[in-house]
Amino acid sequence: MTMLPKPRPGAKKLGLVVDLDTCVGCHACAVNCKEWNTGGQAGILPDYDKYGANPDGVWFNRIHSYETEGEGCSRTVNVPRSCMHCEDALCVTVCPTGASYKRAEDGIVLIDTDICIGCKLCSWACPYGARELDEVEGVMRKCTLCVDRIYDEKLPPAEREPACVATCPSRARHFGDLADPQSKVSRLVAERGGVDLLAELGFRPTNKYLPPRRATIPAEPPKARTSGGFGAALLGLLDRALSR
Amino acid sequence: MASESQAKRTVAHTTCYMCACRCGIKVHLEDGRLRYIEGNRDHPVNRGVLCGKGSAGIMTAISPARLTTPLKRVGPRGSGSFESITWKEAMRIATERLAAIRATDPNRLAFYTGRDQSQSLTGHFARMFGTINFAAHGGFCSVNMAAAGLYSVGGAFWEFGEPDWDHARLFLLFGVAEDHDSNPIKLGLGKLKARGAKIISINPVRTGYSAIADEFVAITPGTDGLLVLALIHCLLEAGRIDTEFLVRYTNAHHLVIDAPGEADDGLIARDAAGCELCFDRATGSLIEAKAVGTDPALIGTFSLPDGRRCRPAFALLAERYTDPQYAPEAVASRCGLDAATIRRIAAEIAQVAFQQPVVLDQPWTDTSGRRHPVMTGRPVAIHAMRGISAHSNGFHTCRAIHVLQMLLGAIDTPGSWRYKSPYPRAIPGGPPPGRPVGAPGATLDAPPLGFPAGPENLLVDEDGEALRLDRAFSWEAPLAIHGLMHMAIARAFEAGPGKIDTLFLFMANMAWNSAMNPGETTRMLSECDEHGNYRIPFVIVADAFASETVAYADLVLPDTTYLERYDCISLLDRPIGSAHGPADAIRIPVLKPDRDVRPFQDVLIELAGRLGLPDFADARGKPLYSSYADYIVRHQRKPGIGPLAGFRGADSRAIGNGAPNPRQLEQYAQNGCFWVHELPPEQLYYKHANQAYLSGAKAMGFIEEDTQIVLQLYCETLQRFRLAAEGHGRYRPPERLRARVTAFFDPLPIWYLPLEEAMTDRARFPLHAITQRPMAMYHSWGSHNAWLRQVMPENRIYLHRDLATELGIHDEDWVWVRSRNGAVRCQARTMTGVNRDTVWTWNAIGKRAGAWALKPDAPEFRRGFLLNHVISEYLPGEGGGPPHSNSDPVTGQAAWFDVTVSIERCDAQAPAETSPRPGANPLRVRPVAEGAS
Amino acid sequence: MRPDASILLLTTSTGFGYGLLAWLGVEAALGVMPAGRMRTLVAAGLAVSLVLVSIGLAASAFHLGRKERAWRAFSQWRSSWLSREGVASVLTYPVAIAFGIIAWRHGEGVWTRVLGVAALGASLGTVYCTAMIYASLKPIRQWHNAHTAPDYLLYALFSGALLLAVIHTVVLGAPGALASAAAAAAAALALVAKRAYWRHIDSQKPLATLAAAIGLPKGNEARPLDAPHFTENFILREMGFVIARRHTAKLRPLVIAIGFASPLVLSVLAGLAVAPMTTTMLALVCAALGLLTERWLFFAEATHVSALYYGRPI
Ligand SMILES: Nc1nc2c(c(=O)[nH]1)N[C@H]1C(S)=C(S)[C@@H](COP(=O)(O)OP(=O)(O)OC[C@H]3O[C@@H](n4cnc5c(=O)[nH]c(N)nc54)[C@H](O)[C@@H]3O)O[C@H]1N2
Ligand SMILES: Nc1nc2c(c(=O)[nH]1)N[C@H]1C(S)=C(S)[C@@H](COP(=O)(O)OP(=O)(O)OC[C@H]3O[C@@H](n4cnc5c(=O)[nH]c(N)nc54)[C@H](O)[C@@H]3O)O[C@H]1N2
Ligand code: SF4
Ligand code: SF4
Ligand code: SF4
Ligand code: SF4
Ligand code: SF4
Ligand SMILES: [Mo]
Repeated sequence: MTMLPKPRPGAKKLGLVVDLDTCVGCHACAVNCKEWNTGGQAGILPDYDKYGANPDGVWFNRIHSYETEGEGCSRTVNVPRSCMHCEDALCVTVCPTGASYKRAEDGIVLIDTDICIGCKLCSWACPYGARELDEVEGVMRKCTLCVDRIYDEKLPPAEREPACVATCPSRARHFGDLADPQSKVSRLVAERGGVDLLAELGFRPTNKYLPPRRATIPAEPPKARTSGGFGAALLGLLDRALSR
Repeated sequence: MASESQAKRTVAHTTCYMCACRCGIKVHLEDGRLRYIEGNRDHPVNRGVLCGKGSAGIMTAISPARLTTPLKRVGPRGSGSFESITWKEAMRIATERLAAIRATDPNRLAFYTGRDQSQSLTGHFARMFGTINFAAHGGFCSVNMAAAGLYSVGGAFWEFGEPDWDHARLFLLFGVAEDHDSNPIKLGLGKLKARGAKIISINPVRTGYSAIADEFVAITPGTDGLLVLALIHCLLEAGRIDTEFLVRYTNAHHLVIDAPGEADDGLIARDAAGCELCFDRATGSLIEAKAVGTDPALIGTFSLPDGRRCRPAFALLAERYTDPQYAPEAVASRCGLDAATIRRIAAEIAQVAFQQPVVLDQPWTDTSGRRHPVMTGRPVAIHAMRGISAHSNGFHTCRAIHVLQMLLGAIDTPGSWRYKSPYPRAIPGGPPPGRPVGAPGATLDAPPLGFPAGPENLLVDEDGEALRLDRAFSWEAPLAIHGLMHMAIARAFEAGPGKIDTLFLFMANMAWNSAMNPGETTRMLSECDEHGNYRIPFVIVADAFASETVAYADLVLPDTTYLERYDCISLLDRPIGSAHGPADAIRIPVLKPDRDVRPFQDVLIELAGRLGLPDFADARGKPLYSSYADYIVRHQRKPGIGPLAGFRGADSRAIGNGAPNPRQLEQYAQNGCFWVHELPPEQLYYKHANQAYLSGAKAMGFIEEDTQIVLQLYCETLQRFRLAAEGHGRYRPPERLRARVTAFFDPLPIWYLPLEEAMTDRARFPLHAITQRPMAMYHSWGSHNAWLRQVMPENRIYLHRDLATELGIHDEDWVWVRSRNGAVRCQARTMTGVNRDTVWTWNAIGKRAGAWALKPDAPEFRRGFLLNHVISEYLPGEGGGPPHSNSDPVTGQAAWFDVTVSIERCDAQAPAETSPRPGANPLRVRPVAEGAS
Repeated sequence: MRPDASILLLTTSTGFGYGLLAWLGVEAALGVMPAGRMRTLVAAGLAVSLVLVSIGLAASAFHLGRKERAWRAFSQWRSSWLSREGVASVLTYPVAIAFGIIAWRHGEGVWTRVLGVAALGASLGTVYCTAMIYASLKPIRQWHNAHTAPDYLLYALFSGALLLAVIHTVVLGAPGALASAAAAAAAALALVAKRAYWRHIDSQKPLATLAAAIGLPKGNEARPLDAPHFTENFILREMGFVIARRHTAKLRPLVIAIGFASPLVLSVLAGLAVAPMTTTMLALVCAALGLLTERWLFFAEATHVSALYYGRPI
């Protein structure tokens, strides 16, 4: 069913919060995602020309790095990019088969690969480049928010989080219910001024990004106690009795 | 999830080995096939996280580059032509060769091991074999950090220490892109970020960790020593140092003899009992420096009982660094920085250290018996690695950083840098390097890699010339405590068959990415003498994959991959302990090999047994151990001390010290394949002087004595070598090296221009060229991994946009990078987050055509390149004398990052392909010969 | 956007087919077909139209990863323009066939007129659905605008008119005033519309900046340092297509000249009875080539906002 679900009171909005201030761009989340999904319910994420000239494959999550200039400071920013589980998910409404759908209960956007005809329209509809065609199976693939982990009752509760979140070595990725203002993720977004990517396109992504920031230490420049050479400079300090 | 398949799913715990970080993993198997690898949440190293490499382990386990059988060379070296042989045959060849060597001159075996984690085994093998020619990868890696740390503070940035991630408020990161503590550092940075602590990264390049730093200091390579000494200058000038810490925990107050020209000039004054002296201001007398309740002088000039003058070590230090030559204004431009920035950073350090101390409500008792109600710390934490290490001035630069830490009182205090248990250790860290005892066929009296305490411990002949192949522990590199692995092939070639018969390489890709100048290195490996014999007679390579080096072996011993074998990450080697307590780990086989390969450690132990080496065979020559697993459990280095510290003793409750426990491996496996001993809170800080900690460590067998470890602000050991160079004592450097030793063995940190830079025409080669570790690749091992190579199958040379504009270079242009040693053609990429005078690339991405089972048109061959082609392993010797190695003159550390280059656009006709592109010989293996058994 | 041959064929070929059907409908509705030749005209026209439409639709199946599941594409007509296109195209067949049968059996008459209107509606409706597939894609500014739908309709009517003129010429010996006038007028309008479209996309600002795409506040600029992976991936192959300016500069005049101006002139000549067989056929061939090029440009010039992440222009 590719109509978007009507907002339900109390429904969850599960998603990721990615901290751009902490992401070191290590690709761990991307590789672990590939590994989890290849080994899991979703089926293999294919690779093409594995050992040849153009190694390529399907990834649900890819890590870019950029240099930015602005506000008098320049920095390098690493940006992991995966499906945002948008509220206005055009990828869903354009789908002619019903393969793409958004779940009413938690907002996760999924693809039913048993139905998908691989028309690619949804990938054209997604501004984030989150959907990739599986050229072996001829069907579209994308981040599942690890539905096969987060609800798996056989896993201990602490492990019911997406693979990319569990694996992120700098803990730059957070998972939770963004509909609940009290959730950890919602509080992070509030405290850190979390933003939507490409907000102006109006897809209302569920995933949020915490912008880079800069810690500072206000400090008085240490003054030389005296001027003029060694001895004088340290005498004041060393006059104090020490106790060994 | 389908429950049917669920039933056949199993989860095994073991330890990752997609890099040397040693994270705990949970391996999910389905019908014996690998399905998923995830981090073990209970593991002390990674707490459940897993990096990109670790997550790609599945693809390594099925890589087509895996070796499948033992191989014997049939074509010329480098041609890649081999025939498959049986293990029986392989063992026969190896045993015969090594037995013959051992019976004549064991030193003719040169055994070099790389990124393995079994040095306590391989080193012991070498010791029992009786060869001094053993080293592991530390010499080309980070021995500057290890040596400077172990000789200064009894720990090291290199694997033996870590920042106090939970309390630091200011974190200075010098020259780190990734490091061995791959996941712990990232976890730590995440913690700092979550707490809003400030991170300053001092690095010529702003990527990775530096990208998220709150401040990026784009230093010019090789000048960190100056920056640190300038910071010290500012702190001294402002009197912002922790004098209490200095007199209690360092040798700042020790009196240094001031008697120029005399044999003990610059040594610490001692009393008749050999105790160091200080001047007590309270009593106005010279007393034992370690006495309690004194008021030691830190400046002044005093007289010794014999009337000679002496001064506290601190006074010498203060005199040196308050000099205007260390003022920020004097050093800034050389460092590529602003003086104001240096002053501000000094101010921030002082602010955090002295205005925002961390006070933990935790009483403790120091080695002087003093009870402290709280633990107070200076929350300025520092970490440094190869950006410092891989320069020929790295030892002193690292010492300078340790001195800065000592002046701040920021060593193993809350919020600062901390020792990872089982460190700290006594200074220097162990016995001197082993020497042969007895006739050929006997052993060394100590492990081949050790800690010289003075010239008498060097391995040199009558003329003061090196005994070791790589010239470690000679006057060329006296404190080469990890050997000089980067010189092994060059020196073996140079010395010829007289010196070395067999070069035995384990897990090191020495014909390629750990070679300086791989073109020359492969030539040396394949060049013959006038009789048509190879100059390096025999090469054995133990590798798991079809690496570049395999093609140059005469005999290849195919190893298993990390999921197919036992391994032991031992406290006797480079353990996984943290500041919170000692820990060690094992790997266990979770997959059955599907090819004719054997774990190298099993093979080595069998070889040792066949050779009848002591400790591996009994007096009648009967092998003692059936396998590595057996050795791990039963081997004892000293009574009660074995490879693993956990679950020892009959009741498996003993820690560190206890009888072998036959069920030990089982218990490790049940415990997630690791063991960790959480230190009680009282022992968590001030370990160098924390009585409870030191006594506990002694009981566990980590250290010999539980006395205070006095931090060496002033490094007397260095002065001993310098005195020898000045002509004192029985052991003296050869004439040509005297000036060098005098210059570089300064007991206080010095800064000098990196050696190669100093002798290069900077007008021709104005730019520094360095490499960085990519986070998703481990040296040369990633390219055969179908997932990792998608991330980085080729590399670029990065340069500053302004420089690029000046040179007319655009993104993706083909350029020549030239040094005095050679040239490499590669593609450029421009950026702004890089020091203006520096170009850089990712390390070890380019591959030798034909290697790693990649297809002939793989980008790794065509566009990937090694910067190593422009680096030379030799530097001209003084006055036309024999060439030096391109290394730190104190430690022999390979100076990878000293090279300077020029960069220019290739002309339009240049092929769009990297150059040099040596070789194009994939492994061609003939099946096992008919009739072979 | 990558100009995929199957889609170029789909949109142009169905454009011709539905355009022709629409004009047949118009003629029937207006009752302007010469009574004696109506059967032949309708039969020939419908045959050509349905063949072209069917070729187009078949071509579109080649674009699918799973052709055998193509039938599933009819289910989501409530939200998906692609589904609607499918449904509309399928519904158009019975309408067209009914129209044909009634026209064949009854010739002129109310039902023929009604079904003519229905055929007109169905065919233009299908074309509209096709257009809306593109026009609804917000991440592609060159498609998501007020030009796309009317333009598609216009090009269909234009190409249909040319076809009609050919059929008239073949069947009646001359294109006739309506067909020629329609063709000429549609060509002129299409030409104007295409130029207006280009003016529009050329003056449009990119949908977003890279800085916004990575969530940085205003006043920041961003430049890519390293892409996630070295080799081209699906996103880049599909959506990162970059056409060189010089190609655009060459192809646009070509489209105008061959695709619109030539058919315009030729249609006028045909209307003036100058070698109608040659001129109408030539006009048709020119338009076919021109429209294929136009469609190629429609894709090649379209940029997808996701290419921003890779530093490609959008
Ligand atoms: N330009 C430049 N060069 C450098 C550096 C630099 O920064 N810049 N860094 C230097 C440093 S610090 C280091 S440590 C060296 C590293 O250099 P090496 O240690 O030579 O490099 P590796 O690529 O790790 O090669 C190790 C070998 O181990 C093999 N191997 C992998 N797994 C196994 C296994 O399970 N069993 C066995 N038996 N073999 C295995 C691989 O196939 C490979 O051939 O490189 C040095 N070279
Ligand atoms: N993913 C991954 N992890 C690894 C490895 C790997 O190959 N891949 N290798 C392992 C090994 S063997 C080692 S030794 C460690 C090394 O780990 P690191 O110490 O992180 O070594 P490099 O990546 O060589 O990083 C050197 C850093 O120093 C900077 N630098 C260069 N010159 C200077 C200088 O003069 N001053 C300063 N301040 N900075 C400078 C470089 O820009 C670079 O960021 O990593 C280990 N971990
Ligand atoms: S990010 Fe793209 S694929 Fe994901 S829900 Fe939004 S539009 Fe759909
Ligand atoms: S590719 Fe599959 S999921 Fe995407 S729109 Fe087409 S049918 Fe739907
Ligand atoms: S939530 Fe799961 S599927 Fe989505 S990016 Fe993370 S690991 Fe991949
Ligand atoms: S794992 Fe974490 S730090 Fe690494 S790239 Fe992903 S989000 Fe960034
Ligand atoms: S850092 Fe990564 S590759 Fe290294 S041991 Fe840990 S998980 Fe494995
Ligand atoms: Mo290293």
